[in-house]
Amino acid sequence: MVPPAASPDLQPTGLERLLAEVINPGLCVACGACLGLCPHLIFLDGQVAAPDACGLSSGRCYAFCPVAQRGGSGESQGPIGPVLGAWQGRATAKDLQGRVQYGGVVSELLALALEQSLVREAVVTAAGLRGSPQGVRVTERAGVLGAAGSVYAGGGALSRLNQALAEDSGHPLALVGLPCQVAALQAMKASPEHPQAAQRIHLVIGLFCTMNLPWRGLRGLLARHGVQAPIGRADFPPPPAGIFQVWSNGAYHELPLEDVRALSYPGCAGCPDLTSEGADLSVGACEGKPGWNTILARTNAGAGLLELAAEKGLLELRPADPASMEHLTQAASAKRKRAAAASEEHPNG
Amino acid sequence: MADVSKLTPGQKVLLQGNEAIARGALEAGVSLAAAYPGNPSSEILQTLADSAHSAGIYVEWSTNEKVALESAAAASYAGLRGMASMKQNGVNVAQDFICNLTISGIKGGLVLVTCDDPSGVSSTNEQDARFIARVACLPLLEPATPAECLSMMKLAFELSEEIGNLVVLRGLARLSHTRAGVTPGPLPEAKPRPHWDPNERWFTIPVVPKHQVMLDKLAQAGKILTAAGVNYYDGPVRPELLVIASGSSRLYADEARRLVGANERVGILHMGATWPLDQELILEHLARAEKILFAEEVDPHLESGVKSIYAQQVRELGLKDFYGQETGHKPPIGELSPSRVAGALADILGLPWQETDPSYLEKAKAAQALVAPRQVGFCPGCPHRASYWSMKQVLAADGREGIVSGDIGCYTMGVLPTGYQRVNAVHCMGSGPGIASGLGKLRGQGLEQPVISVVGDSTFFHAALPALVNARWNNSDYVLVVLDNSATAMTGFQPHPGTGATAMGQAGTVVDVEQVCAGLGLPYAVVDPYDLEATQEALYDALQIGGGLRVLIFRRTCALVQGKQGGHPWRMSVDPELCRGEDCGCNRFCTRVFRCPGLVFDAATGKATVDEVVCVGCGVCAQICPAGAIQARPKEATA
Repeated sequence: MVPPAASPDLQPTGLERLLAEVINPGLCVACGACLGLCPHLIFLDGQVAAPDACGLSSGRCYAFCPVAQRGGSGESQGPIGPVLGAWQGRATAKDLQGRVQYGGVVSELLALALEQSLVREAVVTAAGLRGSPQGVRVTERAGVLGAAGSVYAGGGALSRLNQALAEDSGHPLALVGLPCQVAALQAMKASPEHPQAAQRIHLVIGLFCTMNLPWRGLRGLLARHGVQAPIGRADFPPPPAGIFQVWSNGAYHELPLEDVRALSYPGCAGCPDLTSEGADLSVGACEGKPGWNTILARTNAGAGLLELAAEKGLLELRPADPASMEHLTQAASAKRKRAAAASEEHPNG
Repeated sequence: MADVSKLTPGQKVLLQGNEAIARGALEAGVSLAAAYPGNPSSEILQTLADSAHSAGIYVEWSTNEKVALESAAAASYAGLRGMASMKQNGVNVAQDFICNLTISGIKGGLVLVTCDDPSGVSSTNEQDARFIARVACLPLLEPATPAECLSMMKLAFELSEEIGNLVVLRGLARLSHTRAGVTPGPLPEAKPRPHWDPNERWFTIPVVPKHQVMLDKLAQAGKILTAAGVNYYDGPVRPELLVIASGSSRLYADEARRLVGANERVGILHMGATWPLDQELILEHLARAEKILFAEEVDPHLESGVKSIYAQQVRELGLKDFYGQETGHKPPIGELSPSRVAGALADILGLPWQETDPSYLEKAKAAQALVAPRQVGFCPGCPHRASYWSMKQVLAADGREGIVSGDIGCYTMGVLPTGYQRVNAVHCMGSGPGIASGLGKLRGQGLEQPVISVVGDSTFFHAALPALVNARWNNSDYVLVVLDNSATAMTGFQPHPGTGATAMGQAGTVVDVEQVCAGLGLPYAVVDPYDLEATQEALYDALQIGGGLRVLIFRRTCALVQGKQGGHPWRMSVDPELCRGEDCGCNRFCTRVFRCPGLVFDAATGKATVDEVVCVGCGVCAQICPAGAIQARPKEATA
């Protein structure tokens, strides 16, 4: 394998630079794009680390890092990116209720893609050891449901995708990920050093990202509020609620939003993407309609899967109402502006 | 070691210095010998242990040097002869007892043997243990040859009994392991039955009068040593240069004067007894020479002592030129050698001297090119490599700049690249948990770094226990990792309390590390360091808990012991199709970062390969290969 070429400014583009620009300044958002490619980068309990020097001047770790590569193209499509169709929806199946984040749309779409063999395996995020979110590979509906619900903490799930791509197997893959992970995936797909990504990743379901938290900090905060991991589900109700809701072991807890916000990854401040613009389908909360999702179909593949789910009666769909789309666009636009301001302050922040 | 009790009296044999010390002790009628292993002293006790049954004596590996000397003192109080042997570091451990023992006195002959290690070849320091003679006012003997080792041991026991105090015999690494002809004498016919006369009491008060008694004993010892003739002069009546030397340096001085062709100009005052110094003899020889050079290792013990004697008589003796550490003619650090002494002689006498023939240097350079460069490192399959690997990984992932407080044993090499330089401090036996205990109490003042103390199983019993009790008592926050390889490996696989074996081969009682931890109320868990994932999970979790001392026992028998017990189960190989070599995704991770000597990088193919001669088949490297190219198969299946 020929290592990726050094950048035109002749600076190294490998682990050393990733450490200098992203990891050591504390800007890593734990997406996992750099993980699973080599043994030098490790992930434990929600944190990326590099115990030893890798010794190469260029590497995929830097090329794929969404924080290091920020500021490129892809933001010319408007605040919420390309959209073929905008919907509000929810799953009709009873077994999803209470287990899923909002409407269960992500779980249902992914389960359908697996059942239809559009993909044979998917990488999602689920709670692992010590409650720490981490990537898991699932191949059927039960596995998908096991990972349902969000805890808003980085889990390095792309590590598992890299692991799957390195295996001597050609089956198609899906990813459910945050905007940073979707952005990293686009870099992977575009990389000549990683041809498996473009060949094998057939479905990307992106999530709207309200906040991404370092798991260790969140666990500490939860412990101080008497919440023991693992947590089943968490949510940020819309303003002016000012709280972080947590369901854990059958109990419900509320944490002050400011305490939670103070924990968030510094590296997220420079992220311009609220809605996972590079995904086939993007899914998030539907403001003012608890139990429903907002769904953005961005590609024909995504739109096709959504149509199939509706045809099969798995999802109940309605066109997104203009007011809520306007609200989403405003929120995405505000995120763009915050990111631009943060980027001026810190080029990679 | 050989059973030296079976040597035939009068029949000359080749003996190592340490074996000769053991034989000397047997000829002196020693009844109890105890020691804690430590190079270069270890063979003394092992020789005695291997001779114990036929000699009818008791020999033990003790938990530490202080306990060893205390056990030997017990024999003395029971009317028998006892001895304790140790390396220079051990004298420090025993020092508190020594400094009180010298005041209370002893009954049966009691000898402390210290084997010093100039240059610290197998030690953490190159301390000169002769200090103890001055500090504790003890007679000090310094043999130069194995034959003197034997004769001086006998003298030491007699002297000890005569003055009623401990006597110190100082060996050196070169002497301990040198072999030379020794003619053994007879062994004693019978030894007394042990009995402590209840009317005899041994303690240090009243201190001042007993202090005077101690000084009187030393003065008495001086007279006995003068009469014994262990100090003697060899050279012209009025030498141009007088060398005052002790220990191995006496031989170096003799060789040096031949090397520079100055036999007729240089005299050597051989000091076999170096405390107290024979003032009369020294003054006699100072009067006959204008120039005086000191040859000794490591500290200027003779140099300062002789200059002090000279200062008292300077009006009579007139001005002299002294050469030694003060003038740079004796190095203040490192071992001495014949050529170093020859260089000093040549400089003082104005003689030509070339330390090494240039043609020899050329040949040496050529020979060096044939030898692969090597670093000091853990053996192939050593569990410590796996243990430090896991510590490195976990501390990096933990991200709080964790500190590892090291200790004494093979695992001291954690400070070197072989242990990924993961150890932040190493001092003496047991100091690792002590330092960790202090660090673990700085939380209140803002110390956020996690703290690990690593300690071997033998060190755990030697000196770690008080520090652990301290940490438990004061609620210090750290993780103790016991690197339990079921051996005192670095010094030669001597047994220790955790193994339950004893020096004389009889079964002792196993002192279980887990039970000790449980008894101290310490939470503990046992993991196999060969299982990297389980080890790292356990260590990471232990670091996260916080709040007090908790223990992880990394248990895996020393690779060399496993080898003797039938070997490791795996035959390792590298699949060249899977090995990624120097590409992104690996870049020689196994041979560049993990660095077990059993793995080598084949530059011709650009792939890693297993050196089957070196690899023992522990299987650990298969767990670190990112491509699954390093494969472990059961040996039986591939045989």
